[in-house]
Amino acid sequence: MKRLQTWLRKGAEGVTAAMLAVMFFTFILQIASRYLFSEPFGWTLELCLTLWIWVVFFGCAFVVRHDDHVTFDVIYYGVRPKTRRIFALISAASIVVALGWSIYPTWDWIDFLKIKKSATLRIPMRDVYSIYAAFLVATVIGYSARLIMLVRKGLPEDNEGDHGGVSS
Amino acid sequence: MTMQFALCLLALLFLAGIGTPIAFSIIISAIVYLAVAGQDIALAGEQIMAGLYESFILLAVPLFIVAANIMNAGTISDRLLNFCIACVGRFRGGMGHVNVVCSLIFSGMSGSAVADAAGIGKLIIEMMTKGGRYPAGYAAAITAASATIGPIIPPSIPMVLYALVSNQSIGYMFLGGIVPGLLMGVVLMTMNAIICTRRGIELEEPVPIKLIPGLTVKAFPALLMPAILLYGIYGGVTTPTEAAAVAALYSLFLAAFFYRALKLKTLYEILVSSAKSSATVGLVIGGALILNYIVASENIPNQLAAALVGIDMDPVVFLLCINLVLLFLGALLDASTIILVILPLFIPACRELGIDLVHFGVIAVVNCMIGLITPPYGILLFVINAVTNIPLGEIIRETWVFIAVLIGALIFLTLVPDVVLWLPRMFGYLG
Repeated sequence: MKRLQTWLRKGAEGVTAAMLAVMFFTFILQIASRYLFSEPFGWTLELCLTLWIWVVFFGCAFVVRHDDHVTFDVIYYGVRPKTRRIFALISAASIVVALGWSIYPTWDWIDFLKIKKSATLRIPMRDVYSIYAAFLVATVIGYSARLIMLVRKGLPEDNEGDHGGVSS
Repeated sequence: MTMQFALCLLALLFLAGIGTPIAFSIIISAIVYLAVAGQDIALAGEQIMAGLYESFILLAVPLFIVAANIMNAGTISDRLLNFCIACVGRFRGGMGHVNVVCSLIFSGMSGSAVADAAGIGKLIIEMMTKGGRYPAGYAAAITAASATIGPIIPPSIPMVLYALVSNQSIGYMFLGGIVPGLLMGVVLMTMNAIICTRRGIELEEPVPIKLIPGLTVKAFPALLMPAILLYGIYGGVTTPTEAAAVAALYSLFLAAFFYRALKLKTLYEILVSSAKSSATVGLVIGGALILNYIVASENIPNQLAAALVGIDMDPVVFLLCINLVLLFLGALLDASTIILVILPLFIPACRELGIDLVHFGVIAVVNCMIGLITPPYGILLFVINAVTNIPLGEIIRETWVFIAVLIGALIFLTLVPDVVLWLPRMFGYLG
């Protein structure tokens, strides 16, 4: 079970890395196409934008862990462990309830987009946006698991992760 | 204020306050808002997806992250460091100056303060503390302080985010950052010289002048990067977003073929960690988009603007107040959160009061960067603490004096808009 998990995570990391690499080279191709050919390819931009939202939501669904997220943790690390556990429980429960509740209506909207095709590649927008539904489902499952762990075992002691915010 | 908006704010502050990831706190409170208002809760996902999918300039974010990570992994930073030591290391407080100059050059490549502090910053701290010449806390503090220059000098991820929420041109934003970034470098170097003279820190062995040409040649391809970027953007060769891709490609080329310092395995690790950072930042951006939608439909920014015009507030007083608010928030919140969520509230007010939005954007970003080294939530302090194991308390004690001079520079920039706007105007900005 543990091995399967590691293996899946490695696989997901590989997929996001590959999407980012393809996005990067598509971009280069786009610049090159403008100078080498009389007319730039239209599809490069659309592919990049599609890959960008897929990197974000596939990444957040399957690669990014709880501790990697940007978090305001001044109060969280300032309170006693008992209170901290309650905080963590409320957080996880809120995510499960709110995001879980939004899955059905959101999918309803995404599914409706099958009638709309993207501008140049003519892919149904449903397929482009479907990753958001996958992200919602994966996040709800992930935080349900965290909720169960918090109830059963309490906080993992090794959760002093980095503080995120690489953009700064 | 409507009932739904009050509940939304309450949920947001409560959840973010107890340590729920910011992005999830925003999405949950948006769902609360939509549910109470009786709107379709799918609207949250709709705004996030459409916003991310339609913002072409956001593509610069993952690309600059890749570029910064490649530069840190290759030996590009080592070469820059040797070049800077040869040039400014001979003066009193030499390694402190090296630190600032390295940040100035490196920031012309990476656009990320954290990348600067964790990469080249770590190397310099090791050199400064070797032999006990500089106290560890001082070395860490000046590294943190000089890393804040990173996102002021182009390219800059925070400025890309500001351009997104304010509809300003990224090109002019980048140009607006150059002089303020240099100014910050000057005040930090002055402070460093004063402190090192007072403490009697001994001089470094100067690098013989005849070695300088060789070191320059070795560092030259890396030094060329800022020039390539600026030429690309302002020469009309690439858009700022495409310049990010060119920066990544150039650093990849340098690290892999020219300096031969990049293994395939390292490249893979760079891609994985860049994708991870892009995903977390992307989710916060998505959250900010839905929150901005709610704030706009509640007409909050315009009400704020009308109220300020109503009390006849002086633009300078307004900017100084904003500085105070942002410095306070910067000590608590992440820079991208402030830029994406808080700044849009003030933008209509700036318009009404006749404040230039490029000027406002640059001082807001400077503000956020000072926030990165202000306790209790100073990410740069944490990063340096994590990569060097220098105790946080020691770093913080030495940081205050640099925070003070940076705030001095900030006030100067606030009062004299021409320092920010001179360069953009040279390139045709009509503000």
